[in-house]
Amino acid sequence: MGFFAFFVASGVAASWGQQPAPLPKPLAEAVAGATGEGYVGSAVCRICHPDVWQNFFRNPHYKSLALANEKPERAGCEGCHGPAKQHVQASGGKTTIPAAFSLLEPQQVLDNCLKCHGRDIGRVDIRRSPHSQAGVACNRCHSIHKSPVAKFLLARQQREVCYGCHANIRAQFAMPFKHRVNEGFINCTDCHNPHGTPAPTWRMGLRPRMVAQALGNEESCLKCHSDKRGPFAFEHPAVRVEGCESCHQPHGSANAKLLRRPAVFTLCLECHSGGGNFGRQGDGITLQSPSHDMRSPRYQNCTSCHVRIHGSNSDRLFLR
Amino acid sequence: MKNLLLLLFPLTAAAQPTVAPTPEMAGSPRGENAGGYNVLNTFEFGYRFRTLGGNYGKYRSDVNFGNGVRLLGSQLRVNSREGHGRLFDEISLTTQGLGNDPYQSAVLRIERNRLYRYDLHWRLNEYFNPALPVADGLHLLDTRRRFQDHDVTLLPQSGFKLFFGYTRNSQSGPGLSTIQLFDSRGDEFPLFMDVQRRRNELRLGGEADIFGFKLNVLRGWDDFREDTPLRLRGGPEPGANPTDNNVLTSLRRLEPYQGESPYWRLLLVRNSRRFGMNARYVTVSGRRDFVFEELGVGTDRLGSARNRQITVSGSGSRPVASGSLNLSFVPVERLSITNHTSFHHARMDGGGTFRETDNNLSLPAVFNFQFLGIRSIQTLTDAVVALDKRVSFYGGYHWSTRRIRSREGQSFEGTTDFSTYTQENRLHSGLAGLRLRPSGGLTVQIDAELGRADRPFYPISEKNYHAINGRVQWRAGSWQLSAQSRTFYNANSVALWAHSSRSRQHSVDLNYTRSARVWVEAGYSKSHLDTKTGLAFFAASNLIEGRQSVYISNLHAGHLAVHLAPHARTDLYLGYSIVRDTGDGRPARSVLPPVAPESDTNAAGALFRAQTFPVSFQSPQARISLRLHNRLRWNLGYQYYGYREDFRILFDQNYRAHTGFTSLLWSF
Repeated sequence: MGFFAFFVASGVAASWGQQPAPLPKPLAEAVAGATGEGYVGSAVCRICHPDVWQNFFRNPHYKSLALANEKPERAGCEGCHGPAKQHVQASGGKTTIPAAFSLLEPQQVLDNCLKCHGRDIGRVDIRRSPHSQAGVACNRCHSIHKSPVAKFLLARQQREVCYGCHANIRAQFAMPFKHRVNEGFINCTDCHNPHGTPAPTWRMGLRPRMVAQALGNEESCLKCHSDKRGPFAFEHPAVRVEGCESCHQPHGSANAKLLRRPAVFTLCLECHSGGGNFGRQGDGITLQSPSHDMRSPRYQNCTSCHVRIHGSNSDRLFLR
Repeated sequence: MKNLLLLLFPLTAAAQPTVAPTPEMAGSPRGENAGGYNVLNTFEFGYRFRTLGGNYGKYRSDVNFGNGVRLLGSQLRVNSREGHGRLFDEISLTTQGLGNDPYQSAVLRIERNRLYRYDLHWRLNEYFNPALPVADGLHLLDTRRRFQDHDVTLLPQSGFKLFFGYTRNSQSGPGLSTIQLFDSRGDEFPLFMDVQRRRNELRLGGEADIFGFKLNVLRGWDDFREDTPLRLRGGPEPGANPTDNNVLTSLRRLEPYQGESPYWRLLLVRNSRRFGMNARYVTVSGRRDFVFEELGVGTDRLGSARNRQITVSGSGSRPVASGSLNLSFVPVERLSITNHTSFHHARMDGGGTFRETDNNLSLPAVFNFQFLGIRSIQTLTDAVVALDKRVSFYGGYHWSTRRIRSREGQSFEGTTDFSTYTQENRLHSGLAGLRLRPSGGLTVQIDAELGRADRPFYPISEKNYHAINGRVQWRAGSWQLSAQSRTFYNANSVALWAHSSRSRQHSVDLNYTRSARVWVEAGYSKSHLDTKTGLAFFAASNLIEGRQSVYISNLHAGHLAVHLAPHARTDLYLGYSIVRDTGDGRPARSVLPPVAPESDTNAAGALFRAQTFPVSFQSPQARISLRLHNRLRWNLGYQYYGYREDFRILFDQNYRAHTGFTSLLWSF
């Protein structure tokens, strides 16, 4: 109650252009005991911000205080917000916080967080990630003090964080055939790294940009669909050269097996036309056999016979 | 902060597309203190129910919720208040659907500051796939997948860390596949298979701070085994085509195999305010040895008795090396430049000796072999310039080259015949973008990308493409609006073989949050795709050229969610989502199955009919949650799933399902 009266009094004083009331004793002692850089210690912050402090023991950043071996600029409140001496002297106010995240530019937010997290393995590509380019900084997805989820201090459930900007992706996961993201079975980060990734090792290496790689250098699909990994004695080059998206829509599709076309033969024929200088031999991708009469339904279901379409050990035409 | 809280709570609730579990919590939001720990927990036990009309297989493929009692969800968090727990400082456990749901998961973390951290992610998925359009209804999969990832980090907050990890991924369950016998014009026969696949991965690594760098080393061993026996479903099989004479009397196929992919990953990182670099190198040496044995007995298409045995033995290998170097410069506050250069080199080499014994006549052995080598190099340079707080530009130049080497052939009775090919492909691409913040609540972002490749690998690959993206986000008080538009056009024309693809996606989302008790969210998304691709195929042994595959999809998706909590004890959620593909606009009655009668010489007509797939999928839902006691809530939910397709492939796949649950949410 005493502090409340103090804040009211100092606010009224400031509004009348007068000098603020003298600091209460604990705060004055904190200012007097501040380091040369202006660090006063997190214990001072809890005096005026008990709501933040009350649940801070659940926060991963609390470790920086509990360990008691971090430097002041990497510990507790001031580890992120900067030295608080000026803020205490001014009796509060956002503008007196060296790093008030709601006032920082995205680049400044990024710099601030990367002071500690810049060398984490999953974030080493963050400066070149499309998110950083687009000004999507850490606090757009993470809520440091009020995260409602158990891990990673996300501002919302992970899929809702992503859907918040990628509404078209929400629609794809609402399709009849889809990966079970909405059902909570998998997360966006099972396949993507929102902090940036190295260049893809499939297609021409430029796209897609935020797909994490499995086993260090493969498409993330193979983390779960490990039977498609091989190595096979006879590889289907479509899988290895251009990747799974050559035939599949990874998020969701109206078509069975997440295929890009409703009928499988159209999918196959669009490449296997024998024309141009395409394919592994550079003279057109193998045309189907003349025995295949495309008027007949049996030839319109290519994978009825070419059952090992992702690669085969025993047949170069993927028949067994 | 208050506004942020108000925003966070309802959006957390909105994150529940399926009708259970309930996102609300029971008990004190601050938890209970016990000893030096704070405990926060909720457990939701309940009963799911379902009634279904229509195609059960399609429902299982899309939704798959059934009847029965479950632990629909639970959360447990135990945290030491001072960060100096004796055995642990944190236990966090979140589960979903345990007991009987098709989507079950458990996420566990146990951590003791300074000493260790253990993470477990366990998941189970039961899935049914009728796959009608893929293999004429002859392929089915009723499968169960289990995933588990264990990761232990020792000394997690120190400059020297050790990592141990184990991953297991298994797939099991019955399925149907097909086999074609006894020659290339033979019939297809259904096969029963009992899928048994397992993948195990073991990881061991360490991380150390050395001279201002962070060095991370990881060694992994990945092992994959498959032992899926295949057999006939019962007695002799007549084959899928009734006009054929083929009969398969008995079949035995064994093809157990095991593959290994041990790998190394090295990472070196240095980061400072003005400069950052990281170098990454990964090498994987995949190898697989295999034996295949198949014995089929029956009658061929000419009516002759056949007894055919095939054995294949051989190996495949895929050594892979990947590396990248990432450099970041921040020379001045308002400018950052990054360069990323990477390479990838994979060599896939395999072969097998094929032996066939036909009616006790052994044919000469043939050794078939293939090699496919892919080497690619990319360099990507990007820059971001912030003119002031309101305007910033970004752009980049990306260059990529890929060399593909191919060799394939066979050895037969002492002679070897093979062909070797090499081709190179280069891609240049440029990106430019603008980000504006004209006012505090409004953000506008526009960018465009242009790419040119000289020799794409496939007719559908990217060659001459451009993409334009636009995004607007606006926040004002209780309102939040975001809209996005994205177009991607690609043209890949080589001589007469043309491919063009045009994709346009537009979406808008509106959110109104009056308070934690009242909020509304609505969104609409439109995705258009049209492609034209040159075709060549055979009909009645005649080569048909100059045709085009024309595919048009117009996908409309909408969702609406309303949350009302008239007072503290009652919580009501109403939601609706619909996805509708209107195809190319043809009325549904004109859309026929992709089958042309034998007399129809215009096979392109069949192709045309196959190119649109109008379908709708909608799901309204409602959920009410009542607080009975400070530690107890009662929940009731209902969700309807309606699937309708106007394009019948083999038989009607439409269904209507009423699902729901009732549960008690409890905290102790």
